[in-house]
Amino acid sequence: MSTVAIPSRAPALRTLASTDHKRIAGSACVIALVFFLAGGLLALLMRSQLAADGGVVTQQTYNELFTMHGSTMVYLVIVPVALAAGLYFVPLQVGAAEIAGPRVALAGLWLYVLGGVCMWSGFFTSGGAASASWWGFDPLSESIHSPGSGMDLWIFGVMLATLGQILWAACILATALRRRAPGMTLMRMPMFTWTMLATCTMTVFGFPALILALGLLWAQRHLGGVLTGGAGAVDYQALFWFYGHPVVYVMFFPFVGMVGEIIATFSARRFFGYSAFIVALLIFSGLSMTVWAHHMFTFGVLSNKYFALTSTALVVPAGIEYFDFLATIWQGQLRFTTAFLFALGFLVQFLIGGLTGIILASPPLDYGLNMSYFVVAHFHYTIFAGSAFGLFGGIYYWFPKITGAMLRERLGKLNFWLMVVGANLTFFPMFFLGAEGMVRRVARYPASSGWQGLNIVASVGSFVIAVSVLVFIANIVISLRRRRPAGDDPWGAHTLEWATSSPPPRHNFVALPPIRSYAPLLDLREAAEQHAANHPSITAAGVSA
Amino acid sequence: MPNTEHAYEHVWGIFLPIAIVVFAIVIGTLIVLLVAGARRSRPDRRSEALPLEIAYAFVLACIAAFLVWVTFGAETPIDRLVARPSVRIKVIAAQWSWRFIYSNGVQVPDIDTWHPAPAYVPTGTEIEFSGTSEDVIHGFFVAELHYQRQVLPGYTTHFDLIFERGGLYTGECSVLCGEDHSEMHFALEAVSPARFREWLARKGARAREGSSAGAVDSTGRSG
Repeated sequence: MSTVAIPSRAPALRTLASTDHKRIAGSACVIALVFFLAGGLLALLMRSQLAADGGVVTQQTYNELFTMHGSTMVYLVIVPVALAAGLYFVPLQVGAAEIAGPRVALAGLWLYVLGGVCMWSGFFTSGGAASASWWGFDPLSESIHSPGSGMDLWIFGVMLATLGQILWAACILATALRRRAPGMTLMRMPMFTWTMLATCTMTVFGFPALILALGLLWAQRHLGGVLTGGAGAVDYQALFWFYGHPVVYVMFFPFVGMVGEIIATFSARRFFGYSAFIVALLIFSGLSMTVWAHHMFTFGVLSNKYFALTSTALVVPAGIEYFDFLATIWQGQLRFTTAFLFALGFLVQFLIGGLTGIILASPPLDYGLNMSYFVVAHFHYTIFAGSAFGLFGGIYYWFPKITGAMLRERLGKLNFWLMVVGANLTFFPMFFLGAEGMVRRVARYPASSGWQGLNIVASVGSFVIAVSVLVFIANIVISLRRRRPAGDDPWGAHTLEWATSSPPPRHNFVALPPIRSYAPLLDLREAAEQHAANHPSITAAGVSA
Repeated sequence: MPNTEHAYEHVWGIFLPIAIVVFAIVIGTLIVLLVAGARRSRPDRRSEALPLEIAYAFVLACIAAFLVWVTFGAETPIDRLVARPSVRIKVIAAQWSWRFIYSNGVQVPDIDTWHPAPAYVPTGTEIEFSGTSEDVIHGFFVAELHYQRQVLPGYTTHFDLIFERGGLYTGECSVLCGEDHSEMHFALEAVSPARFREWLARKGARAREGSSAGAVDSTGRSG
């Protein structure tokens, strides 16, 4: 094990320099939470501006707000937190004592933090932060149209954070492929580990395209002659979306995995259709590399039909995943914990995001809806009402494992219901605004359009989300102050991370149970039940949980 | 006829009901399962039904194939350019306004982008637009036609549109293009072909008389 002994009396050093994958992931999650709050604050400012139809911030500031909101949420929150979950739980789920490449993983953390600080420091430059959207697309991002160092800081920030994410993905991939415990075959890996395997494969293949695109953009800004004319604009976006579409599934699959684990655990049964699910996941990942130009239908210079075909084909793997979720709940013995509620919220709300995605995959519809609030509603239903709900589910599920303390269930349910109300109030009206032709990224809209009412509803919703987030933070603070010890396995879960202490020791396990399926702990309980049934004199108390 | 409005409404009329039915089926099933599962005392142990899943995947593939077939059928005519459009109009976008140039040299520029002067187009016939940009990417978007096309610097993009109804169509830039992106509106006034020809001739004559070429039309919007 390539680890360094750090004196226990240096907590700061332990946090900054530990090569323990659990500490690295924990630091990443705390930093991501800070960026989530910062990015959310920008969203509240934007919603205030749109509710009032102007007057809160200037147009230029508004452009900075949505640029930094999108960039923060994608590059600094959802993607890092998805990978951090893998960093923490993939070694545990495959029964490894350590992540593969712990120092590389630590470097990833540093690159991520530096990238985030770099990107946000744009706000302190005289020209303000970057304002060319989270795509940073050429030629708007060139030096004549976006002068100032805010744009350069954004380019470097995104490059650094993305490089860190590639390093994390490589470590997780190597751990799943090379560090599995004896008995843990590929087809016995837990759902979440499989989704991370797919996620990290897409990350290592797709993310370098972004670094390349941003490198070219930087060269164009400072040297010129790289991305010129219409071809330059098309090239940049083709490269960007070759990153940008896989990243959509990087922000989705890990949460599918979390939701799968949560549903199986709280249905008290084995995940249904494991092998079909994995085949679907691999088809999904493969297709994810072939759909990128559905973001570019309205250029009219690429083969729209090909990309419409591959994008619509996503119906098949997505449908299989939903089938398996529902089939797991079918005949299950359900416990409606906060984690399970968030998983259900994910299922319902992501479905809205997915179905509207099929609508947008059809060019005749996309010609009318692209760049409108319909698209904004669609991807917030996938990323916020979908993935973020999966993430909250994952937090309520795994928090006891990470900290050793349970989160409060009543506050959790308040957190959940406020989030459901807030998310739907915010994003559902946007479908109507978009279908009526309100384009995105505008700081004002014509007063005659009659859009102000729906915009006010959406803005009220965004503040309900903010209240829900405050409840969540209160829950964390209260649960850590007045700890209710979790024990090793508070939920009766199925996978190996629950076969060790909470939090796990430095090298994860003292001993491992036998691994004969993708639900080794469930195997143990079922064997005990079987034993009790065969020998009625022995009490079976405590195994039915 | 490359009618974008009809294509949109046709595809929307098929896709939206399917989406709503799928949503209702999934949510209905989920609710039934949740109610039953809340009362159950022993979970089931089955965990695979591969033949069923393969059959189900086949059904999904058929649905996807149907959606793609509908999409292709609707897209082909609106992507195609007609050989002889009745009018050709150049569209030039620049931060943060639009210019429309007709084949006889008449120009309609935007001055006040919140209340743009309308460029006239004839109803019921194909119009070929040739769009380009002088700086960054802009989006030529007419919400009522359910149509947009991005215009790029250094590249001319061609597309045909038909305006069936007479009246004012408002348009805006749909692609973020810098500080005043929100204000980059335009307007198209669809009038009968006869009135259009009359308008174009009058504007052309005025332009030839030398009274400030490209003057803003101020004849009102009685069409």
